[in-house]
Amino acid sequence: MDQLFTTYLGDLLAGLWMTVRLTAVAFAGSLVLGTVVAAFRVSPVAPLRALGRFYVELFVNIPLISLLVVVTFGLPDVGVTFDLFTCAAISMVLLGAAFTCEAIRSGVNAVPVGQVEAGRAVGLDFFGVLRHVLFPQAFRSVVQPIVNVFIGILLSSSLAGVIGVKDLTLQVSEINNKAALGLTTYLLAAFAYIVIALLAGGLGSRLEQRLKVLR
Amino acid sequence: MSTQDSLFDVAGPRARRRIRIATLVSLLVIAAVAALVVLRFAQAGQLAADRWAEFTQGPYLLFLLAGLGNTAVAAAASAVLALPLGLLLALGRLSKGGILRRVCTVWIECFRSVPLLLVVYIFVSGLPQYGINPDIFWKLVIPITLCSSAVMAEIFRAGITALPSGQAEAGLSIGLSGGQVTRAIVLPQAIRIVVPSMVAQLVVLVKDTTLGYAVSYPELMKTSNNLTAYTNHLIQTYLIIAAVYVVTNVLISHFARWLESRFSGRSARLGRSAVGAGIG
Amino acid sequence: MSGYERFSKQLLSRRGMLALGLGAVGAGALAACGGSPSLPAGASGSASAGGSVIDQAAFDAVLAKGAVASDALVQANAWAKAIKAKGELVRGGTDTSTLFSLRDPATGKVSGFDAGMSQLLAKYIIGQPKEKLTQVTVDTRETLLQNNSVDVIFATYSITPKRAEKVDFGGPYYESKSAILVKADNTSINSVADLAGKNVATQSASTGVTLLEQVAPKANVQTFDDNPKCLAAVQQGRVDAYVIDQSILLSDAAKNKDVKIVGDTFGSSDKYGIGLHKGSDALAFVNAWLKIVEQDGSWDALWKATVGQVLKTQPPKPPAINA
Repeated sequence: MDQLFTTYLGDLLAGLWMTVRLTAVAFAGSLVLGTVVAAFRVSPVAPLRALGRFYVELFVNIPLISLLVVVTFGLPDVGVTFDLFTCAAISMVLLGAAFTCEAIRSGVNAVPVGQVEAGRAVGLDFFGVLRHVLFPQAFRSVVQPIVNVFIGILLSSSLAGVIGVKDLTLQVSEINNKAALGLTTYLLAAFAYIVIALLAGGLGSRLEQRLKVLR
Repeated sequence: MSTQDSLFDVAGPRARRRIRIATLVSLLVIAAVAALVVLRFAQAGQLAADRWAEFTQGPYLLFLLAGLGNTAVAAAASAVLALPLGLLLALGRLSKGGILRRVCTVWIECFRSVPLLLVVYIFVSGLPQYGINPDIFWKLVIPITLCSSAVMAEIFRAGITALPSGQAEAGLSIGLSGGQVTRAIVLPQAIRIVVPSMVAQLVVLVKDTTLGYAVSYPELMKTSNNLTAYTNHLIQTYLIIAAVYVVTNVLISHFARWLESRFSGRSARLGRSAVGAGIG
Repeated sequence: MSGYERFSKQLLSRRGMLALGLGAVGAGALAACGGSPSLPAGASGSASAGGSVIDQAAFDAVLAKGAVASDALVQANAWAKAIKAKGELVRGGTDTSTLFSLRDPATGKVSGFDAGMSQLLAKYIIGQPKEKLTQVTVDTRETLLQNNSVDVIFATYSITPKRAEKVDFGGPYYESKSAILVKADNTSINSVADLAGKNVATQSASTGVTLLEQVAPKANVQTFDDNPKCLAAVQQGRVDAYVIDQSILLSDAAKNKDVKIVGDTFGSSDKYGIGLHKGSDALAFVNAWLKIVEQDGSWDALWKATVGQVLKTQPPKPPAINA
């Protein structure tokens, strides 16, 4: 226990910071790319729709570990070498965007058809309907699914250790390879993940409430 | 007709021309990107036939197939254990009993928010310090069960709460007890609602088994690890393996969708990320 | 180059269709453009296929000649008696260690120095080299012994005082030190001192992590979970060097022309022990057996068939067995 706080606390905190950074970057990227893919999936251009569908089918079903290895050790052969953090973030964004797209789509489909038809009836075009009718309403029903995506990304960040990114889980594992500290470090790490997830959930609920009032 | 279908009209002549141009441009861009990647790969020597040769040879394929078999066994075992556990947790969380409800809620919220890999590590190197040291297979399956039971509990709960409350009220009003209402009225309908989501959850289980590499359980990811140690063809192996996982999971999702079409009467569809995003 | 051709020919003549494919692999490797050829340069064994550098024929010959204990000797030892009754030796080990214990995906056979030692021990007890491999990781070896999941562990298992509190170590039966692997065109790293300020890869959960902290505290240590990833990191310039046990690096260098080993070996010598149940009568039995295989030439022959395929020197003297 003493050893934990004198020797390894720094490693543990560094791991936590890495997890937070990785999750934040991957989540932000997923939101952006996921929105683009969602727009593809409802677009009038057939190949874009097909591409969007293909994208989601591919990245919803691919295990992150194999993607991490392919991005980290495959991309250098295509001529681009990113550092390991970026490789992990890219892989996580590719997967996270697929789930974000699905979350957005479920939100879009939760808006009654009549709303869109009314928007079309007053002369709004595709983008007009998206911007003025659909997204503002879809946003509210999307909050909870997006929170789930955030938690999914948080949990998936633990796999970044496979390519040597020292996130919280890898740090805990390495600390325990050096010293037998029982369950303490594991439980501390688990607690940290739970707190982050609960914070995200709480923030999501508050956002949902505020949007409700606005509507 | 869903909302996204009414976003745009049947296109007129000008719009059709624009769409044709956009189609052509997007196709060209997609093809160009794909071609560039393939070209650079070929230049790096990664496409040389000898780097892929092992995937055309029976013994190597059998070796990977055995890994796929173990993946199926681990995923199936996890499903068989996590389903009933998830149902019990959901019923517990929805129950009136104060302590039971709190315990189930805490359980669900904790295991929903902890990375599977961390739980696996607890079983690999944490618990053995206290003499708890199950077989390798269980060091993978128990963590998966713990984590996915929490997600499945939430799916069940969503299915149960999706039922109109009049259903349970009608049961109570004809004199059924709370337990009878649950068994005879709520569960049969709720289970029909959640079946497609549950099958879709199998996809997540299959992906979860890839953590077998961390416990050295010889599922597909571990066997491919093994193969790369032998051949050093890192990228080729992981690309092939990724493709195998994608195909397997797409088949499972299609099965889920087929089930959904069979079960869809009044089933409220629970979206892919309605309960949890199984990224991993 | 002629080594390749000979290898391909032997494969062609002896292994039919499978060999035809692998022969093509060998020929392809000759022409591989700049990248890393996939087949070992020094392999001369006939039965070995794919990426193994081990001389499989010599390996099988060692096992065929292995000593067998008298039944009385086995019956007098509780540990050995139980193994003979089971008809197989349950070994804790890995199957991804190129020179020590590698499973040929095509045949399912595990060979290498550790695998050979374990199979020799199995033959000594049972009369046949029958072992069952249970996968171990760095974290699980002690516990697998403590809860009797395995009979013995041969897994490049370094003897440390901390581990010796939990398990008995037979042997040591092998000794190794660490070395540095760099890209073939690297000229800036020639010794441990040059690692300061450089990115250095090592396997997570290996002794390399602590060793680097001691000998190269200024190096940037980057861990990956297995050898192929560490190697790829060097080849792609993601790290400048890769430090781990020399035997692992030797097989990497033998299989890949774009990397090389530099400088002398360093660090404390890792002595590999045979993991056994604490306080059982296995220790005396195994040490007596080890003495026999070291004296009857099996140890030397096994070394030549496995590690010697890369090192190309005479077998070293095996480390002194602990009393």
